[in-house]
Amino acid sequence: MALSTYIDAINTALTEEMRRDERVYIIGEDVGVMGGAFKATKGLLEEFGPERVIDSPLAEGIIVSSSIGAAMVGMRPVPEIQFSDFITPAMDALTQQAAKLRYRSAGTQTCPITLRVCYGGGVSGGLYHSQTNTTWFIHEPGLIVLAPSTPYDAKGLLKAAIRDDNPVIYFEHKKLYRSIKEEIPEDDFVVPIGKAIVRREGKDVTAVSYGYTMQLTLQAAEKMQEKGVSVEVIDLRTLSPIDKDSFLESVAETSRLVIVQEDHRTLGIGSEISAIVAEEAFDCLDAPIARVTAPDVPAIPFAAPLEKFYMPSVEKIMSAIERTVGY
Amino acid sequence: MATKTKERPLALETEPNSQSGNGTAPLSPEILKRLYSYMLKCRTVEEKARTLFKQGRYSGNYYPAVGQEATTVGTTIDLEEADYIAPSHRDFSSHILKGTPLKFLYAQLYARKTSPDQGRSSPAHCGYAPLNVITPSSTIAAQLNIGTGIAHAYKMQKKPNIVMALSGDGSTSLGFWHEALNFAGVYKLPIVYIVQNNLWAESVSLKQQTAVEDLSIKAQAYGFPGITVDGNDVVAVYRVTREAIHRARTGGGPTLIECKTYRWYGHSMIDPGTYRSPEEIEYWKSKDPIPFMERYLAKHNLWSDSWKEELLQQFNKEIDEAVEFAEKSPYAEPEECLDHVYSFSIRERELNRKIWTSSATTPANK
Repeated sequence: MALSTYIDAINTALTEEMRRDERVYIIGEDVGVMGGAFKATKGLLEEFGPERVIDSPLAEGIIVSSSIGAAMVGMRPVPEIQFSDFITPAMDALTQQAAKLRYRSAGTQTCPITLRVCYGGGVSGGLYHSQTNTTWFIHEPGLIVLAPSTPYDAKGLLKAAIRDDNPVIYFEHKKLYRSIKEEIPEDDFVVPIGKAIVRREGKDVTAVSYGYTMQLTLQAAEKMQEKGVSVEVIDLRTLSPIDKDSFLESVAETSRLVIVQEDHRTLGIGSEISAIVAEEAFDCLDAPIARVTAPDVPAIPFAAPLEKFYMPSVEKIMSAIERTVGY
Repeated sequence: MATKTKERPLALETEPNSQSGNGTAPLSPEILKRLYSYMLKCRTVEEKARTLFKQGRYSGNYYPAVGQEATTVGTTIDLEEADYIAPSHRDFSSHILKGTPLKFLYAQLYARKTSPDQGRSSPAHCGYAPLNVITPSSTIAAQLNIGTGIAHAYKMQKKPNIVMALSGDGSTSLGFWHEALNFAGVYKLPIVYIVQNNLWAESVSLKQQTAVEDLSIKAQAYGFPGITVDGNDVVAVYRVTREAIHRARTGGGPTLIECKTYRWYGHSMIDPGTYRSPEEIEYWKSKDPIPFMERYLAKHNLWSDSWKEELLQQFNKEIDEAVEFAEKSPYAEPEECLDHVYSFSIRERELNRKIWTSSATTPANK
């Protein structure tokens, strides 16, 4: 076991996978000489050379679409989008090509890429360095969308993604990079894609989240315990395809549901979870479902008071839990 | 860096010398005859596709490249099996050159289970994995970007294969197109970009598309050669392309080739193409690449009317069999709509939803 930050876990996963499989290569902006804007790819150029750690032209579209082509003929590309805010030039590549290639070729052509995307707010990044746009990709069947919340999952899910035969978007939260540490095995391990995990058992209410807000949800659950409320916390880990049994099973026990997401409210993953529970577990509910989300504004504002207002927080989550339990 | 050749009406008259990749090399009688016979086959296959559509025997649409056969054949003939073609929606007949069986192509038009995509994409959006033809999407120029990635992989894998990336004049206005060419230039990738400049992107003329006269000049911005060629002169197209393929295969990097040609019909089967003047259409029909090549072969004593008849009989027999195969093929089962989304099946998830009831026994619940 070794004490690891979230970003070190990512770096270790990349290093191990590149040693294990020579088809794996990294391509993106500043990933080589600089070792990444946040140093996620630090040291990889030195170990693997410029043919496998590629400082690309500043063009997200071709970073992703060239990876799709390379994956079609046997490579295992791990492209990077430096900030999720800059993913839009690659939208055709992701939604029209990567998501649909297997489908439109009846399974005869596939593109197993792992696109690492740095996302998330709460870091004074402002409008274009803070966005959480996971929702865009959850809406695209054919893509797998991951969002780990712990160093263990960061390593295990990234390794699983690189070995997976589907196109994967791996959202890594910049605020988690160095804010949490965890003892993780130094041996090879993977975390299964498509499986949520119960982070904390409880009986009064189910709280579902992922990524950075997962950590906030756990803190809120701890504080609610002091108030005598037992919160079951579920970490989705895979956002698409969603592990719906995880929260349905839990809601069947607790009869109450709170969903916490960093993305803004309308048609976010909370909307889908709410719909699934309403359709498939209507009888189980004893209280209205509550969502803690960012407001429906275009993006995260920069000034500190505005950003604080925008972001989900421990207090907002506790308030939603109290409202649900007190219904 | 970029070079430019004006339309070369005399290209057919120059004497061929070898096939080493030298653009001025001579062509053997066998190659000249094959270039012709493939053009005739493409024309015959496409006219049949048009007829079948007009007869209502398949639905959707078709995007004929009739009139552009010299470009299609000159660029995609004689590729290696592992070479990739990155086609657009109008490059259905490039399959014929790569070797995709005709029966699968007509099954594609008929959207049958036996088609390469088992009825998923629209007619003419056809790939073929066994022979390395990308299954194209309808978003213009996307195939170039994917093809560029394949070329990148071939370079990383140190393979001697190349990518033949096909697009039209309209695609050159898109950012994708430029990202692809820039990337290929930076890494000197083994790829040849063909712009089939047929003067019209659906109803938008070339003058509304670009302020330059020759699209090949755009290669200059990306640091590799660009050349404009008479796209109705199959020998010229073939020579220029062979040289570019040779350069790509031997580490010399990409080439942009603009083939100036013309599509005789509208953008698709439901487009009468009335935005073009009858005079313009007649002019280009007078430059039909097929009789042009017939005259050339005759001049070199390589032509007979009976040979053409033999070819047509052979093609029509093959086409009739392929159409019969397509018409007798079943559609996919409706539930196959749910297949090939991921490497794992989602059928169970989509078809069998479990309804949950509470296991809690609180008074409020009961």
